[in-house]
Amino acid sequence: MMEKLDKENTREKFIEAANRKKILAHRCTKCGHLMLETVLYCEKCSASKFEHAELEGSGTVVTYTIQAVAPEGFEDAGSYAWVVLKLDNHQLRASGFLPGVKTPADLPIGTKVRVTGFDAKHGLMLQK
Amino acid sequence: MTNNKVCVLGAGSTKYGKLNESIIEIALNAAKDAIDSAGITPKDIQAGYISNVFGVADKQVHMAPVIMSNLGISHVPGLTIESACGSGSVMFREAFANVAAGFYDCVLALGVEKVTHTGTARSTTLFSYCSDFFYEGGNGASFPGLFASMARAYMHTHKATEEDLANVAVKNHENGVLNPKAHVRKRITVDEVLKSPVVASPLKLLDCCPFSDGASATILCSEEFAKKSGRLYMEIIGSGRGASPAAVQGREDITTIPSTVAAARQAYKMAGVTPKDINFAEVHDCFTIAEIIDIEDLGFFPKGKAAHAVRDGATRLKGEIPINPSGGLKSKGHPIGATGVGQVVEVFDQFTGMAGERTVPNAEIALTHNFGATGASAAVHIFRKVDRK
Repeated sequence: MMEKLDKENTREKFIEAANRKKILAHRCTKCGHLMLETVLYCEKCSASKFEHAELEGSGTVVTYTIQAVAPEGFEDAGSYAWVVLKLDNHQLRASGFLPGVKTPADLPIGTKVRVTGFDAKHGLMLQK
Repeated sequence: MTNNKVCVLGAGSTKYGKLNESIIEIALNAAKDAIDSAGITPKDIQAGYISNVFGVADKQVHMAPVIMSNLGISHVPGLTIESACGSGSVMFREAFANVAAGFYDCVLALGVEKVTHTGTARSTTLFSYCSDFFYEGGNGASFPGLFASMARAYMHTHKATEEDLANVAVKNHENGVLNPKAHVRKRITVDEVLKSPVVASPLKLLDCCPFSDGASATILCSEEFAKKSGRLYMEIIGSGRGASPAAVQGREDITTIPSTVAAARQAYKMAGVTPKDINFAEVHDCFTIAEIIDIEDLGFFPKGKAAHAVRDGATRLKGEIPINPSGGLKSKGHPIGATGVGQVVEVFDQFTGMAGERTVPNAEIALTHNFGATGASAAVHIFRKVDRK
């Protein structure tokens, strides 16, 4: 579960974990605070020693939008939602791309979602 | 903190909208208006503060020296500041701080933007680079999308409706019609807002400000310089800066913007006033939901109550606290590098009898509020009208 942090290529590691359906986080070895992998100093105590914490890529929808007008690069993505989710068992939040959402009725706040991978074109992929 | 008093002696804006001139010509037009308005010449200017985000889209970065050179004062140092949609106010704060610290007696603070020539799709992409792109733009969120997610969270928490958001747009267009320099001078109805095409649910086209070109400029100076001029001026009595997590996901409460709360607290404290003392405010209404959140974060209304206040007319031109008499970003337009300065120009116009039909009667203290991206950076300023001796 835990692994000592050795390299600084944080985004690559985050993506690699997402492809295993996990959210990679940093846990401060001094105060225990949990942050996303890309944060280099602890938000609480400014220490810079972390352990990797691989969190289950599952959570609940905090908020979202359905992008009726898709930005460049997402025109072929069909009807999708950009979602902020709170990870299960942690206060940490993440955000990602959830395909196949057409109307708000498809995605009430609180819906369970999970990470399915990381797509080079569409980012952190989610599924209901 | 002690500092020298800083005043605004002159102000000018171009029209906001689709402009044909180059970004430098747009900037110079505003600069000339501000210089004339202050009754100074370029030789009086000791430094130039410029705010801009997408100069690269019109083939010009390192804009300050180009502007100073074309004002005939190439020896005067300048710098260019970027803080997304909050660039203007963040830059204004730096200009303020340098005059307050005594480094300069008179400076130019000018914001400029030109993006409409790139088209809507390209502009939307450029703006998305102002998000925390790895988490937001890169996962498919446009700027309307990010604010739509804030709107959904707000509506869920505070039981607000899409009509509540629409009321903000209707009110700001009502004011913008009275502003000859506004980008979209057209009255709209709640029904028209609700029936306009969805951009990113729950936000529709008429919940969103337009992409605009334009420039706004101000002349800041010491109190001694202002007094000597014998002209009308206003004093900057409060200035605050704040910051928030860059990404929306990093905020525990998505229905408030921490940078606004922090900047406002500092500005009120410095000015020695409370929200009740403010006669009108220009706030950052890039989307209708933003104005709802702003006027709560600035302390004008309790959390969750702004939608009711807007519905009851409290924020209209003749309401208890007029919000965005200029028409705001929504109607006046949003040339992002210029917006924060344009708000100061509106306050100056209001205090010097230049606001015509949109004048807020007997106003003496006003507030400007402007933020970058989804509020990752923000600045708040408070101004006091100085009566002619």
